[in-house]
Amino acid sequence: MSLDNILNHWSDYRKGSEDGGHHDYEHRWAMAINLDLCIGCNACSTACYAENNLAVVGKERFEKGQAMHWMRIERYWDQQELEHPEQGASFLPMMCQQCGAATCEPVCPVAATYHTPDGLNAQVYNRCIGSRYCSNNCPFRVRYFNFYSYYDSSWPEPMEQQLNPDISVRDKGVMEKCTFCMQRIRSVKDKAFMEDRPVQDGEVVPACAQSCPTSAIVFGDTMDDGSMVSKLWKKHQVERGVYQKTKLAKKDADLRGYRIFEELNVDPSVMYLERVREDI
Amino acid sequence: MSGKMNRRSFLKVMGWSGAGVALTGCDMPTTVTLEEGKEEVVSYLMPEEYVIPGVGVWYASTCTQCAAGCGIHGRVREGRVLKLEGNPDAAVNNGKLCMMGQAGVQGHYNPDRITSPMMRTGGSLTPISWDKALGVLEEKLGAVNGDRFAWFTGSISGHQSVLLTNHLDAMGSTNHYAHEVVNNAVSRAVNQDMLGEANPRLRLDKAKMIVSFGADFMGAGQSPVQYAGQYAKFRTNKERGLLVQIESKMSLTGGSADLWLAIKPGTEAVLALGMANLLLNKIKISDAGIPADVRTLINTYDVTTVARITGLAGDRIQRVTQLLSERTPSLVLAGAGVEGQAQGYATTAAIMMLNHILGNVGKTIESAGDFPFPQLMAKQGGTADLVAFAEAAKAKKLDAVIFHGSNPVYSAPKSLGLTEALANIGFKVAISQFPDETAMAADLVLPMDSYLEDWGTQVPADQAETNAIHVQQPLMEKLNAETKGLGDILLTLLKQRKKDEYGQFEDYYAYLRNAFAAMPTSVKNDAKSNDEFWNTALQTGVIKVDSGTKTLQSTVVSFAAPVVDDSAGLTLLPSPRLGLFDGRHANLPWLQEAPDQISKVVWDSWVEMHPDTAAKMGIGNLDLVEVSSAQGSVKLRVVLLKGMHADAVAIPLGQGHEAYGRYAKGLGVNPLQILDATTDAKTGELAMYSTRVTVKRIGPADSLSIVRMGTGAGDSQVGRKLVVTVPVEQVRRTEGT
Repeated sequence: MSLDNILNHWSDYRKGSEDGGHHDYEHRWAMAINLDLCIGCNACSTACYAENNLAVVGKERFEKGQAMHWMRIERYWDQQELEHPEQGASFLPMMCQQCGAATCEPVCPVAATYHTPDGLNAQVYNRCIGSRYCSNNCPFRVRYFNFYSYYDSSWPEPMEQQLNPDISVRDKGVMEKCTFCMQRIRSVKDKAFMEDRPVQDGEVVPACAQSCPTSAIVFGDTMDDGSMVSKLWKKHQVERGVYQKTKLAKKDADLRGYRIFEELNVDPSVMYLERVREDI
Repeated sequence: MSGKMNRRSFLKVMGWSGAGVALTGCDMPTTVTLEEGKEEVVSYLMPEEYVIPGVGVWYASTCTQCAAGCGIHGRVREGRVLKLEGNPDAAVNNGKLCMMGQAGVQGHYNPDRITSPMMRTGGSLTPISWDKALGVLEEKLGAVNGDRFAWFTGSISGHQSVLLTNHLDAMGSTNHYAHEVVNNAVSRAVNQDMLGEANPRLRLDKAKMIVSFGADFMGAGQSPVQYAGQYAKFRTNKERGLLVQIESKMSLTGGSADLWLAIKPGTEAVLALGMANLLLNKIKISDAGIPADVRTLINTYDVTTVARITGLAGDRIQRVTQLLSERTPSLVLAGAGVEGQAQGYATTAAIMMLNHILGNVGKTIESAGDFPFPQLMAKQGGTADLVAFAEAAKAKKLDAVIFHGSNPVYSAPKSLGLTEALANIGFKVAISQFPDETAMAADLVLPMDSYLEDWGTQVPADQAETNAIHVQQPLMEKLNAETKGLGDILLTLLKQRKKDEYGQFEDYYAYLRNAFAAMPTSVKNDAKSNDEFWNTALQTGVIKVDSGTKTLQSTVVSFAAPVVDDSAGLTLLPSPRLGLFDGRHANLPWLQEAPDQISKVVWDSWVEMHPDTAAKMGIGNLDLVEVSSAQGSVKLRVVLLKGMHADAVAIPLGQGHEAYGRYAKGLGVNPLQILDATTDAKTGELAMYSTRVTVKRIGPADSLSIVRMGTGAGDSQVGRKLVVTVPVEQVRRTEGT
């Protein structure tokens, strides 16, 4: 995308999600995360470090909010009025929600963050100038900025040998975030293309979903009606698109599916299923 | 075959002797020739068929990050292992892997690995050659009187265990100390007495209700991935399973409970007896099989008494008990906090008795069958062996010891006096990957392969539905030329003793090939040749073993009446966690940077207290305090958590290393050091959860006190719809569960 291209197509680029967005999508990758099965164990998060060359920043930088955990488990305490949290902890796996109407995209001065035909918010590391506007604009706080180069501190010899060669190691001054394991999607798509067939449901498994001991994370393509993730979205009456549409679509408000910050109209690609508790 | 070995000794050498094994007579193995074993250098100009530059290939092996023995697949590209995932063929973990398994590559590529043998000369460890090291080993071990020699390991299974036992035999010793901080030794003893099997098959997935007395089965337990998988089924069954967790410090498993109850530490036996009382006297379940003395004991614990002692509400106890009687089959579990009490055996027995009363034995607790190769079965560790080892060292009963897979210098409470007693042992060898505290105290250090470089077999102690032997194979060339595999070192030691029996095996690989060839046809399935069987085993990583079907007995043993310590003071809970575990993973930066699941602290130690307890002492969140027991004290920061009983403080395990490389050394404190050396009378296991401590504020909070993830607004959702909780009735209507 050259600069001319960006300037000439700026209005297309900004076309709203309610008007069908600006893409003829090939896929729309999405997740369904069952919070009733999430036990908060960190397997997904660690698998993400292993797969995506995430830097370890250390205590001091973690304290400054510079940790690079693309996939993090947030833990909330509800029932704060009680002496003890009698229904346990509320765990929330939080990663880039790959919004259909992403607030991070239009604010990038250099279009380093853009929307792919797969429905993902991609980050072009080479183009990123580190303005951090995208991070500032993200309601989910899932964009991570490289305040430092971590080559030596995070991967002292021979740890660099573990780095995944399918993706880059990001340098100082660059924003990064969850890609839904873009490299895995890429290799599956390439394979399907070579074999002249469509991508099958279940072929792409991101590292987090692969590792999850309770299989709380389901990943797939919502443009494929037969996919597990499509069926789950349908079953829970969560639809792509903006708030009003979804609101109308959901006939049974008691169904467990919801998207976080639905009211912001950012059209997230991650549907969560409410956590269930039996009150005894 | 060497003519010097008869059939019986052959079977023993190979680990296949045992009940009910039919070996084929004619299919005796041949030794691998030098030609077969030789190394070849293959240029990428002529890559082998299965090596495509740029394409990752997945190989099966077995995880050794804890004793669960999960099957793994390792992605290998251009000769480097990059990523580990669960092996779907392994029923234990079903294709899944926990955070510790994921971080295995960081142990393998760790910058602080030991890269050459070292010997203590003039007070410090200096590098020496393997020839020299082996010479010293032969000389020193040759001079040791058999029963004055010992092995000190963690849990160990498979052919490594066979060779280790055989080496002890060859030395004329029976001293094998197996030590694990995170263990279920007391439960094993109770199970053995009440069910006739130490490791029965738990079926959480078949239970309609689980009452867990502090069993962190999805966290720092015996097979976390397996039980988390079962938990997922338990929750998604047609009738959604109900989890009640009763403990003094919220564990990872407790975080997922429908009802989490804070119980006064040390009163769990009282609660179990009170629940038994309700089941027998109020709900009128038959008391068949309960010994008269236990029946009398049960009768003394009415709800009012139990409520007073445990600090739980009487109606809560009644409600949980009522539900237990209605939702059958259920499952009642006892965890580390219960087992590790001064009356650990009695408390665990009282809890396990509930399964007998509720008729769960045979339904949610099944027999694991008779594993046909007892020599390969896991020798599981506990803390009784640590105590026994410290006693033996103090009594100067040992002259030589080899350490492997355990770090007693770090994990032994000071009160055991182990560090000083080690001076009584003249020759201490450590087979270790890392310069941990025990290796640093040794006289000879042998650098070990990582598990991703080594051969082996592992037999999970907690088997899944299908019993299996898991195969461990190297996923890449050694990173350091000077490291050796445990099997190879054992074989070398055996060759020094019994050249005639073990001389025929060039290395551990050759030994394993022979062992596999000698496997009974019953486990070889339809393999047409030994090579085919070997290749299939390496491909799948799993050898399924039919262990037949067996029925568990369901009996109740007599146990001691609970003794409740009413004295004032706080009980210290040294809580293990999935991640750093017992401290063995403190050198893996991913796990240091992964927030603790409950407190969300990274890179540190902290003490957890209930806000009410802290307020009474004038202690605020993140204040610096001194936690003191009769054995010593540690200084660390406070994290206030409501998932604590007011009479308990918890210090998570894992930190406080004085050695162990750049990531672990000098970080936080080690609560194990200040534990009393009290033991359970029946099993001799350390009562790790019974030490009384006092807490004193010594300083205020500062900005770098404790680093936590997301501490805004007291970790409240402040009205945002982030994690929504709905009642089960609603889901029953919409989803029919």
